[in-house]
Amino acid sequence: MARIKRFTPAQRMFHLLLMLSFLTQAATGLARLYIETDWGLFLASLFGGYNGTLTIHWWVGLFMIALLAVHVLYVLIHVDWRRFPKSVYGPDSILPRKEDLGQALQHAGWIVGLRHLPRFDRWGYWEKFDYLAVFWGITLLGITGVILYNPVFFSNYMPGWVLNVLLWVHRIEAVLAIVHVATIHFFIGHLRRHNFPMDLVMFEGSVDLEKARHERPAWVERLEQNGNFHPTLADNRSNALRVFYYVFGFSVIACFIYLLVNGLVNASGLLG
Amino acid sequence: MKKQALEAYQLSDYHNPCGIYQQRKRYFHKGPVWLVRTIYLTAAILLIMIHFNESSWAQTEVSSKSYRYSERELASRSYERHEVKPRTYPVFVRGGRPQREAVTLSPIAEKVRRRKYLADSHWGLKFYERLTCVRCHPRQARNLHYIRAKITCRQCHGPEPIAGLSHYYSKMSPRRRHAFVCAKCHEGANRSFASYVNHEPNPTALTTRKSFPLLFYVFWMMVAIAVGTFAVFLPHAFMWGLREFLPDNFVSALKERFVKWRKRDGQD
Repeated sequence: MARIKRFTPAQRMFHLLLMLSFLTQAATGLARLYIETDWGLFLASLFGGYNGTLTIHWWVGLFMIALLAVHVLYVLIHVDWRRFPKSVYGPDSILPRKEDLGQALQHAGWIVGLRHLPRFDRWGYWEKFDYLAVFWGITLLGITGVILYNPVFFSNYMPGWVLNVLLWVHRIEAVLAIVHVATIHFFIGHLRRHNFPMDLVMFEGSVDLEKARHERPAWVERLEQNGNFHPTLADNRSNALRVFYYVFGFSVIACFIYLLVNGLVNASGLLG
Repeated sequence: MKKQALEAYQLSDYHNPCGIYQQRKRYFHKGPVWLVRTIYLTAAILLIMIHFNESSWAQTEVSSKSYRYSERELASRSYERHEVKPRTYPVFVRGGRPQREAVTLSPIAEKVRRRKYLADSHWGLKFYERLTCVRCHPRQARNLHYIRAKITCRQCHGPEPIAGLSHYYSKMSPRRRHAFVCAKCHEGANRSFASYVNHEPNPTALTTRKSFPLLFYVFWMMVAIAVGTFAVFLPHAFMWGLREFLPDNFVSALKERFVKWRKRDGQD
């Protein structure tokens, strides 16, 4: 079966690092948020208690900020500067385009049976949303987190009572990110019939040609018409790696579901 | 300093530390640009050097400044057991009993507000020796210092007599709180840092809109963003998942079937 390349090894590495660091941040952050509950105490004990948890949260947070910085550099290097304005507005770009809004509405129409399925190109609007949300999330959580970790220093440059506000911003944005990943991102990526039980494209870097033709017909057609189709074809996969990807992917999903479920179950402990 | 500059300085808000820098900036800009730039660059390099050398500079032996208190001095709330008995004699109240305020207050507000000015804010309370702080101030116990760091009320508010916040010599007075209270754990705390609202109001409560408007509005704005995201994308993802169980030609097949039914029923 022919397979078509979708992600480069560098992009897969970015996702892998983001995934692991975000999981660590979610676990340590929730441990501190829920420290008044038994579950929070247990979770914090895995990372060295209340104070040790903060240390890990701080260093992994710095790592995520660095990861974002490196990714921005990576993006700047890989932008096709010769055809600059066109290249970032083209169909291969992950930046939002005018067509995305129309496709999102058409897709919603398809879901309720009113319209035909839109012919998606390389990136669907939901993928663009997920990708750009990370920029917003790491920026907001990073800035508030760095300020909250060094409150004395930063209160030289702002009133101290802003710290009260920033703590809530950090909390709500983090909960939004965790719940979004644990429900919407996982559902669309793995639980849909099209991808069930798991979409391995982010690990393998390649997708089955027929599957791509079905979900992203405009992309495959564009490649075929441009004549640069063959270089994008990928080798066959090794079965051992696939098994490893499944085990690894399901472990991470299980961790997030564990955090989500326990967070919901113990939510009443936050109010007391 | 010239008279004009002095006036400008006096006019500027002395609470705002930036005000001083603005004056300096104006003064520097009279000199040649390269000199000003050199000074700024040197200052920046010095600042960076100081920042990275901080731990060796201060010769501190703990991993983090903010942990020192919780690691060394915090143990088993033993602060509750000593140095806490109120004095057996009425303490000196500055200016005698506080003056009546111009605005008539409710009986309770009158008691509370008057006590803000007492050297011993709990002076004259019956059975005070047998009460705990939290018994009368339950809401005040819901803060991160009390719950998380296990810091007791007295570790910040001090031993008896606990002065009212507005009493001139109170350690909790906003004019010296940062030095006498905050800096015990937060090394280098300044006045701005001391304006952190430790007894934070409930951000969801409507009363917070008046007492801490920024907290109230930012909290609800963030909640609105979160709820808005889920209100759109949760049903979207769920219905998308359901839709994929139906075949691609589901709509056209339905239409065909519909046409057949219409023909069968003789409506066309």
